[in-house]
Amino acid sequence: MSQLEIRSISHWFGGLQALKDVTFDTSDEILGLIGPNGAGKTTLFNVISGFIIPTSGEVHFNGKAIHRLRADQTVRLGLARTFQIVKPFATLTVEENVLVGLGMPYYPKPAALVQIYRTPVNLEKVEQILSKVHLLDYRFAQAAKLPIGLQRRLEIARALATQPKVLLLDEPAAGLVAQEAEELATLIRNLFAEGMHIILIEHNMRFAMNLCQRIVVLAQGEIIAQGSPADIQNDAKVINAYLGQE
Amino acid sequence: MLVLQNLSNALILACTYILMAAGLTMVYGVLKVLHIAHASVYTVGAFVGVLAFSRVGNFWVALAIAMLVSGVFGVLIYRSTYFYLLNSPRTVPLIASVGMFVMFTDLLQKPFLMGAYQRAFPAGGAGLPAIKTALFSFTPKQVLILLVAIILLAIVYLILTRTKLGLSWQAASMDREMASAVGINLNQSIAANFFLGSALAGAAGVLVGVYNNSVFATMGDLPSYKAFIIIVLGGMGSLPGAILASLILAIVENFLVASIGYVLPRDSIAFLVLILMLMFRPNGLLGRE
Amino acid sequence: MASGYLLTILIFTTMYISLALSLNILTGYAGQVSLGHAAFLGIGAYTSAVLSVRYEAPFWLAFLVAIILTGLIGTFLGLPSLRVRHDFLVLATMGINFVVVSVFKYVDFFGGAMGLVNIPAPTLFGITFRGGIPYLLLTTAYALFTLLICWYISKTWSGLAFQTIRNDEDASASLGVNPARYKIYAFGISAALAGGVGSLYAHFLGSVFPDNFVFVESIGMLSMVIFGGIGTLRGPIIGAILLRLIPELLRFIQDYRFTFYGASLVLMMLFQPMGLLGNESWVWRQITRWLRTAPQSRKEATQ
Repeated sequence: MSQLEIRSISHWFGGLQALKDVTFDTSDEILGLIGPNGAGKTTLFNVISGFIIPTSGEVHFNGKAIHRLRADQTVRLGLARTFQIVKPFATLTVEENVLVGLGMPYYPKPAALVQIYRTPVNLEKVEQILSKVHLLDYRFAQAAKLPIGLQRRLEIARALATQPKVLLLDEPAAGLVAQEAEELATLIRNLFAEGMHIILIEHNMRFAMNLCQRIVVLAQGEIIAQGSPADIQNDAKVINAYLGQE
Repeated sequence: MLVLQNLSNALILACTYILMAAGLTMVYGVLKVLHIAHASVYTVGAFVGVLAFSRVGNFWVALAIAMLVSGVFGVLIYRSTYFYLLNSPRTVPLIASVGMFVMFTDLLQKPFLMGAYQRAFPAGGAGLPAIKTALFSFTPKQVLILLVAIILLAIVYLILTRTKLGLSWQAASMDREMASAVGINLNQSIAANFFLGSALAGAAGVLVGVYNNSVFATMGDLPSYKAFIIIVLGGMGSLPGAILASLILAIVENFLVASIGYVLPRDSIAFLVLILMLMFRPNGLLGRE
Repeated sequence: MASGYLLTILIFTTMYISLALSLNILTGYAGQVSLGHAAFLGIGAYTSAVLSVRYEAPFWLAFLVAIILTGLIGTFLGLPSLRVRHDFLVLATMGINFVVVSVFKYVDFFGGAMGLVNIPAPTLFGITFRGGIPYLLLTTAYALFTLLICWYISKTWSGLAFQTIRNDEDASASLGVNPARYKIYAFGISAALAGGVGSLYAHFLGSVFPDNFVFVESIGMLSMVIFGGIGTLRGPIIGAILLRLIPELLRFIQDYRFTFYGASLVLMMLFQPMGLLGNESWVWRQITRWLRTAPQSRKEATQ
């Protein structure tokens, strides 16, 4: 069960308004968040996941207000995210990267100072996650040395290790070639079939339209349209927003 | 009018801080690393200044020579080390900077350089008159500092805002890759930046050496540390901020010592201010990034 | 007499191994570059000295209190580090070093610039350790203890958390690590371990002076960690050994000890920023390559 309510979120960076009264609900679906550059999509993700406290407005997850929580607190409630520019832990291996996610329940406790992380049970869980994203072959590779397509998958694997209810993916297909993007789409559909609520920011229109059940379009910080992919594709405001970019 | 006299003393102190901090701000703006070895440049400037003065007898010539040598020294530091570390992660040039500072400090204390003792710098007020008004007065030495500081700052201001070189520094401080992409010769620009910034430090060293009539190997430590504090207070890379912060720091130091006496020495004030600043307002007083 | 001198060098070297390892937790594991570690050495030393000299506390008590108190103060002094990174953090730690030394110098309770003298030699289980081999055993035992702690931490969730902060704080927060909490842990543990060395240091020398703990000493400790290979266990150990012993072995460097430290830092940054024995260093790669091929060539030789 995953119910996310965004209520009148507005955010100012100094004199610049990045988000303007953004309001929508999302639950148990694959939701696409699209819009031209600078629309505020990543800012919205930062607000939801706890990297930014919004200037005004609220976010509720399964009834609980989360807009004032820190990032390490929201992930504990079941919201995991990936980043627009991949952030692998460069000096760690693929396996260790995923282990980090697995440790999510332990970090806040003092026991973290004495509990060993590399146990057979944990390694087994890492194996399962890595095979789900088809990264098992790269288990012992250093994260920094992987090509970007694999690093993106690693980031998803890492997020999955926290056993989230919602997965916020920020431009997961960026920098991927057609085949990799296809594989990614399949992965996302599989995750959804297993009960994961997924919200993704995407710049690649075709990717988003094929994958998402519902779309929210953001331009200059405001929602200018929401609906099914078909609705959005024919919406004059959306077309204008994108044409304006060219 | 004790307050006004205190203020005018603080102004003189601030002048020396400003020259040190201005040089550091310039280098930081372009390099984005705290050039800790700046302290050594200051000390070398004072040393060369006092040596030149003992040979030539003329303060202004000695100052010019000291600034020239300091400038060259700064460029050598850049070219031998920072040049190769421009694209390394930030801790690398920082540690190199610390290493150079330690190395120079140790070397400067050796007998064949400055030795363990202080030497005098008897340039007096370089022939300048004192200024005496009803409200406050400046001794000839203080007039000298004021004069040199104002002239140098004016020159720096003009270069920063009116010349292509200054513009290239502003560009480089915002985005090095872009700056080089639009045709700015980064190497020359940064080298010139180091030259000017280091020359300013050398001038500061000479002025303080003359004012206190004392030049010694570790004279750079405290002033350079205060310069760091000043650029944090002033908001990294902002010259007006650094000037304002220098004034504030000098005033606070002067007044606190005069009125409260001390539980902790005057110099600790600066450090406590730094720690508090870093905890509560890491973007500086003027709040710039 | 010569062996007395050698023993003194060894005792100091083992103390610096502990110091380098403790600093490595803060700077190598958690990525918080600190140029103020000597402050923690000093706090431990003074705590132990004050308790022994003014309150006639037994050594074991002074030693334990030194560790705990330094750890607590270290945790507190870690607070400025929370909001700042990189250069600013370095400045903050330099500032802390300076303020701590000033407190020792100007507050009478700590003996002021004259320091504290007549610190008694430690007595444990009825044995009094008056320098020489017994003291070396003491400091070596502590070095092993520190090594054990560092090794163990690297195997725990906290060790993993430290590494994530060092790599990317945002990513680590997104996976449940509270960077602030872990930075404070790192400061606390690192300081506590250094505090223990401080106690041993004070009781070995018999006296402590504020200038023993100035900024330049912090640079020496950081040099050892970086020179050897930051973030590894072998790095700080080798760094401490080399940087303490080389000046002793090469007479002409002795007077230029800090020139040597400074130059080695600069050269390391230019050529091997990961340290002499860091994971990607030339030396380490040769060693691991040799270790991998050696059994192979032995097998070939017997065929």
